[in-house]
Order: sequence, then C-alpha cells, then structure tokens
Amino acid sequence: MSLNMDRVASAFTFKGGMLPMTVMELTSADPEQIRAQLAGKVSQSPAFFQHTPVVLSVEQLDEPHLALERICAVCRAHKLLPVAVRGGTDPVKQSAWALGLGWFPPQEARPRAVEEAPLAAAEPQPEAEASPAPAVGRIYRGTVRSGQQVTAPEGDLVVVGAVNPGAEVLAAGSVHVYGPLRGRALGGIHGDRQAGIFCKELHAELLSLAGNYKRLEDIDPRLLNQPVQVQLRDDQLNISSLG
Amino acid sequence: MAKIIVVTSGKGGVGKTTSAAAIATGLALRGNKTVVIDFDVGLRNLDLIMGCERRVVYDLINVIQGEAGLNQALIRDKRTENLHILPASQTRDKEALTPEGVEKVLETLSQEYDFIVCDSPAGIEHGAQLAMYFADEAIVVTNPEVSSVRDSDRILGLLASKTRRAERSEPPVKEHLLITRYDPSRVTSGDMLTLEDVREILAINLVGLIPESEAVLRASNQGVPVVHDMDSDAGKAYADTVSRLLGEEVPLRFHEYQKKGLLSRMFGGGRR
Repeated sequence: MSLNMDRVASAFTFKGGMLPMTVMELTSADPEQIRAQLAGKVSQSPAFFQHTPVVLSVEQLDEPHLALERICAVCRAHKLLPVAVRGGTDPVKQSAWALGLGWFPPQEARPRAVEEAPLAAAEPQPEAEASPAPAVGRIYRGTVRSGQQVTAPEGDLVVVGAVNPGAEVLAAGSVHVYGPLRGRALGGIHGDRQAGIFCKELHAELLSLAGNYKRLEDIDPRLLNQPVQVQLRDDQLNISSLG
Repeated sequence: MAKIIVVTSGKGGVGKTTSAAAIATGLALRGNKTVVIDFDVGLRNLDLIMGCERRVVYDLINVIQGEAGLNQALIRDKRTENLHILPASQTRDKEALTPEGVEKVLETLSQEYDFIVCDSPAGIEHGAQLAMYFADEAIVVTNPEVSSVRDSDRILGLLASKTRRAERSEPPVKEHLLITRYDPSRVTSGDMLTLEDVREILAINLVGLIPESEAVLRASNQGVPVVHDMDSDAGKAYADTVSRLLGEEVPLRFHEYQKKGLLSRMFGGGRR
C-alpha cells in the first residue's frame, strides 16, 4: 500500500520558503551601546518588539571575537529573538552554533541562490547574469491541470496541450505552449534574459521572464485569445501577437 | 470482478451524492448487481438520499474495524432489486478509514457485484483520495460555474497521479464528465458557463448532462433517487447517463434552451 496520505505516513514535509526577516546590522560590538540604543527604540515603537525574530549581521564589524552571548541576552531582554548570525570569522560562526543560532555566510560572498520558489523570481533582479540555457529541455504532452506544476529545470519546456487555470509551467529557458495558456508561465527561472514564452492562445494568469512579471490584469485585452510571444525588453515584458 | 466507479468533484454541493445515488440505482435497474458506498465519514448523506436512513445499523467503519460483518452492514434497497447501500459512519473519526481496510472491503464486494459506486466526500483530503484510490472509472461532477470547473480540474490531476492505477502504471482511470444543474436559459443569458466552455477546459469525455430540475430536490427530500422519476428531465438525463456508462450511444438532450410556447406557459406550470 503506497497511498500517499501525509497525515498518516509522514510526519512532515520540507518546503522552501521566503519569510520576511529583520536584519540587525551591528556597527558596534559593545553590548552596553546596543542596550542603550534598543531601549530608545522600544519606547518609540513598542509594537515592533514582540519576540520579533532577527538575524544579527556582524559583517560591518572587524572583531574576530564577539560577546555574542551578551549581545543575544540584550536582544532578548528587549523582546527581540536572535535566530541566526550573518558573517564574521570562524570563531563567531562556532559560537553562534554553540548558542543554538544559525549562521549565514556574509552577503557579498554568498553565491547567487537558485530560486526555489517560482515567485521568488518575481523580485526584480537587475544584476542577474544571463546564463545560456543548456540544450536539454522537456516535452510534456497533455493538459496541465489546476494544482499541477511542470518544470524544465534546464532548457526549454514544450507543452503540447492546454495549461489550465491554477496550473504552473516553469523553465530555465523558454516556455512553449501549443494550446491555450490559462495558468502561470515562468521562463528563465534561473535568470536567463533571452528566454521567451510562446503560446497558441493567451489567457495566462501570470507571465514571468527572468523575474519580471505581468499579471493577467496588466495584459492588453486585445492580446487575449491570441497566439503571442513574450520577450524581455529593458526589464519589461513585451507581448506581441504571432497571428 | 466488479467495476469500481468513484463519483467525485472536489467542490462540495455540486451533486455528488445525488448523482451517485441516481447512477447506482440506474445501474441496478438495468439488471446489474450494484453496491453504493458512502465515503463521507462524519457527514453521512447517501442513506438519506437513498431513503434508508432508518435502517442503518452498522457502517463502513464498523466493517473495517472488524466490529461487524460486511453482510450485516449492507442495506438492501427496498425499491430496486440488485442494489445495496453501504453507509458511512456519522460519529467516527474519519482517520479510521484505512487504505488496507477499504481495499479489503472492495475486494470482497468485487467478488459478488458488477458495479461498486463510491460516493466521495468533497475536498481533496484523506477521504476523497481514498474514495478514488482503487477506482477503475471516475465520474467527475461539475456545475457550469468557474470554481466548480477549477476544482474538477484539480481532481482530474489527482486521478492521474494519486490512484492505484497511476501508481502501478496500469491503464489510467477512465474519466467521465457529468455536468449537473445545467440551466439552458441562464447559459443563453450568459450567467452560466456553456457546455462547450466546460468541456474545453476539462477536456474529458462527457457522460451526461443533468438539467437544473425541481425533481432533484423533491427526490432528495423524499429519499427516492431521481432516476425513479422518469417523468422528470433530470430522471431521464440520469437514465441516459447510465446508458452511456454502459457503453451505449445516446444523443445529448436538455442542453438547449426551449422557448416556452403559449400553451405550455398557460398550462405547463414550472419546470419539471
């Protein structure tokens, strides 16, 4: 019996998520100075300090050793919940882990993360480098139905059939739909700015190329029901009729 | 071996139980040994629609948990020969419905019946997935309305991936579209999606179209499946549906708006 019933068979599932997170950029390593400034902030906006999770960024500090434990204690005393540390030397990393905190590499050195959630690509990323799409693609035959997601992690995606409302098709390269496109189509999900979207009938809920997107509402109604191509021009999605 | 047919929709209130009752009754009236199973644990309705709510002693969960034998739980339909009902539990926790238990019940019933009709609960959770898991065929009940169409689309995706046939890479579950509560006059006026709109999006074979009819509500409240009311449009439409399920070619009716003539306006009264 392999019926997949989440509640019975598995205790959890891992999901990628992008959560809003406050970064506390430290410019001083002195816990007393931090305490004084926090006390002032709390009186200005008490609503903010409700066990708010924060990431302590120590990138601006030059000290190899930090009184991390005391800084955390000061934060907690002001109802801030340090959850992780960003940047710093190896000893800083070790003491973060010892305190049960996560550690992130410094921002500049971080390799460009591969977008896990398709909507993460919706943030404009002007610095995204065009990475040439490899030739391997994917051909999907049939209707992509509501709730289904068809992805070509490398290369182009070709759908021979309809993409229904509530369905999502994604490709590192271009997306081609030989049928009505009624759901969401995202091309160039790793930042390929040359990628395009092509379909026989446009009704898409969302079109996105390399993180730039247009919603159905933003699409010129004259282009609906038409065969179209979508390309990226000056960070804008350009939709033109193929008819 | 029985053919297992699930009646499902995703969305609630579209007419799953009404359809399951009418189709199971229709199959039995045509001489097929049929059992209809209510999978909606906690929101049991099928017994009411079938008019046997006063005869429920044991239910599906009692059988699965070994508290009653299958024959003790099966209720023989009073009006129709060859028809049995297996009710759901109204009080038990729906987690008690286990895949192994359901498989065993279906296997036993399979030896004796020609058709097993599973009335699925709404939604896409545990109960709905279990109702469809063992199916050979699926009747997807859809109203001509956008949210119902989208939910049916979602169910069709699950039928293609979360069923035993899909997991064993056997021939896929045969999908049928049943459109219910179709009102040609409201389609003509643009209030409702047209038959073609629905078929275009769902892209599966149409097995029946049931017109909006007062006979359906009357049948539900009386506990007599509407297919017994052969004077009504809905009764006839369900009978057509059963014929198509059995592989017959029957022309579609009740999908076009008939302007009422003077005489029927004077004497015809309401919709039947």
